[in-house]
Amino acid sequence: MAVRKLALLAVAAVAAFACGTTSAGPTTGSTITLGAPLGLTGSLTKESQLTQQGYDLWSDWINARGGILVNNVKHPVVIKYYDDTSNANQSAVLMQKLITEDKANFLLGPYGSAATATDAVVAETNQIPMVEANGAAQSIFNQGYKYTFGVLSPANKYLQGVIDMAATLNPKPTTVAMLSADDNFSLEVANAINTYAPTKGFNVVLFKKYKNGATNLTAEVQAAKAANADIVLNSGHLQEAIAINKAAKEQKLNAKIFAYSVGPSTPDFITALGADANYVYDGSQWTPQVKYTPAFYLTESQYVAAYKAKYPTFGDPDYHVAESTAACLALQRAIENAGSLDAAKVRDALAALDVTVFFGQIKFDSRGINIYKPMVVEQIQNGVHHTVFPDSVADAKPMYPTPSWDQR
Amino acid sequence: MANFVQLVILGLLAGGVYVAVGVGFGLVWGVLNIVNLAHGALVIIGGYITWQLFTALHVDPFLTLPVDAVALFVLGYGLQRGVINRIIRAPLLFTFLLTFGLNLVLVNLLLLIFGSDFRSVTPDYAGRGLEFGSIVIPYVPLISLGAAILLSAGLAFLLNRTRIGLAINAIAADRDAAQLVGIDLRHAYAVTYGLGAACAGVAGGLIALIQAITPSAGEPYTLQAFVVVILGGLGRVSATVVGGLAFGLVEAFGQSIPGSGSVFANAIAFGLMVLVLVTRPQGLMGRLR
Repeated sequence: MAVRKLALLAVAAVAAFACGTTSAGPTTGSTITLGAPLGLTGSLTKESQLTQQGYDLWSDWINARGGILVNNVKHPVVIKYYDDTSNANQSAVLMQKLITEDKANFLLGPYGSAATATDAVVAETNQIPMVEANGAAQSIFNQGYKYTFGVLSPANKYLQGVIDMAATLNPKPTTVAMLSADDNFSLEVANAINTYAPTKGFNVVLFKKYKNGATNLTAEVQAAKAANADIVLNSGHLQEAIAINKAAKEQKLNAKIFAYSVGPSTPDFITALGADANYVYDGSQWTPQVKYTPAFYLTESQYVAAYKAKYPTFGDPDYHVAESTAACLALQRAIENAGSLDAAKVRDALAALDVTVFFGQIKFDSRGINIYKPMVVEQIQNGVHHTVFPDSVADAKPMYPTPSWDQR
Repeated sequence: MANFVQLVILGLLAGGVYVAVGVGFGLVWGVLNIVNLAHGALVIIGGYITWQLFTALHVDPFLTLPVDAVALFVLGYGLQRGVINRIIRAPLLFTFLLTFGLNLVLVNLLLLIFGSDFRSVTPDYAGRGLEFGSIVIPYVPLISLGAAILLSAGLAFLLNRTRIGLAINAIAADRDAAQLVGIDLRHAYAVTYGLGAACAGVAGGLIALIQAITPSAGEPYTLQAFVVVILGGLGRVSATVVGGLAFGLVEAFGQSIPGSGSVFANAIAFGLMVLVLVTRPQGLMGRLR
């Protein structure tokens, strides 16, 4: 009994001491609520999960430090999620609910350009800043919105790096077959290639759209084979990238370069395809190999380590995770710079933001999209992602040309 | 010309999967009068069983198909006996609601168990095939088509040559008369739904070979099964086979229309369905009742 009393006394003493010391530093203020609808079920579950991981990594980090520092007051952060069932309209409904019912101070983006576009309207009408990391379609940013900010490179940059890289290769490929899903984002990626490739001396011999979410792409692959293109590009999503790669092997479509906008950067692409995933290129917002000098938060290697510690079964973080964390960092820094939780002031601070973090430079053009950060090109080599372009951040040379299917 | 022949071949091969997806759906619809909105979820369960056996035990994916069939039969039998039988005589809307709900439950259970990762079965021989000049016949879709035809033949045999099959046919013809002659309705219903689910399971195993699956990947197949069954005609397995192959062909040619033709591949298939409904309401091969 005596021991117990003594222990209680000791705890009380420590508590008193702790209180005494913290009172000298920043005080703890109100909790900042951030709202994010995500496709936790439905067709975008995988990507939404990666987005959520990126958000949660940051909220763990900032709350471990007591919260966001605003005028010497630390505000802890809570991120409130809702499942929008991968439905863009539902996402907007939930965004409004987050604002009116949950009193979200600021908004984080959903996954995908479609949902981001509908949510941007909600952010705008309620005049609450939304920082998003997963909607790259420029159509979102061409509406004159003042409250939506995207930390990622816009859609038109996704495959341009592959074209730039191809221009440096020897023997230089000359023809391009462009396959594209028919959603806004994918079409922007593809249309950009259609205009950009000829300026680099490439001839676009096939431009073919297919239904977003298609699982049977044999006829498209057959068309690419008939066009006999050196470079086969796909602008779509993970599911379609896997289907195209499978069909390419079955139908003996042999190109010198296979590059897909979205898909190959995720670990699922490699586990689903095994050795057939090798040699595939993709344009990536970020890879663990890039080297930037962060002004705050973690370095690239620390970030990878933090991710692996929290999600040990997932391997390296892919760019969806990194860009999502970067959105949180942009919001954090803007709140700090604004010195206020006022929505309009934080919006102005976001518009003026210019900071470099592990993800790269975050700075928004007048439309609110980050055109200042470069994209990189990755290639899967022996089952591992390597950054192969631009040379300044590359950790491997491109394995070129891709051997024919018979010779692998 | 070679390109045309290749497209015909690819279309027919792709049709194999649609046949497999369609036969089970058509059986349940024809006999139980249930438009089974959970069909896609059952399909994907089969896909996950094949994937699990392939990755964990390295069983050849085509050898896992019987396992898919048996497992899904048991599940389907249980679902019908325990849940769907309760509303079997209720208006169509109730069965819609119930199977829609079942679909949600099954998909979310899969999500809990397997997560949202994309899974695909890629055996060593995936991507290889027979080559005749510039024409390629890939093995996996070829064997899939064979498996789908075999499945349909097996189902047709079961329905036309066995006691339980004849009982199922009798119920489809006249429910009350069947009951009068002593057919155990609840058991026969459950067997029917079980058979439908078993076919779905086999289809799922085939689908895991041609695409990457996630828990929600089955949903488009419910719709495709619907079109396939209408195209072919309700009430005969052979009609569904024709419907599935026709759907594969239409899709392949729809996709190969230059420019944005593929965007309308589905619209073309549905347009054809409407056309068939207008001109031949019983389907290409169906019998009028």
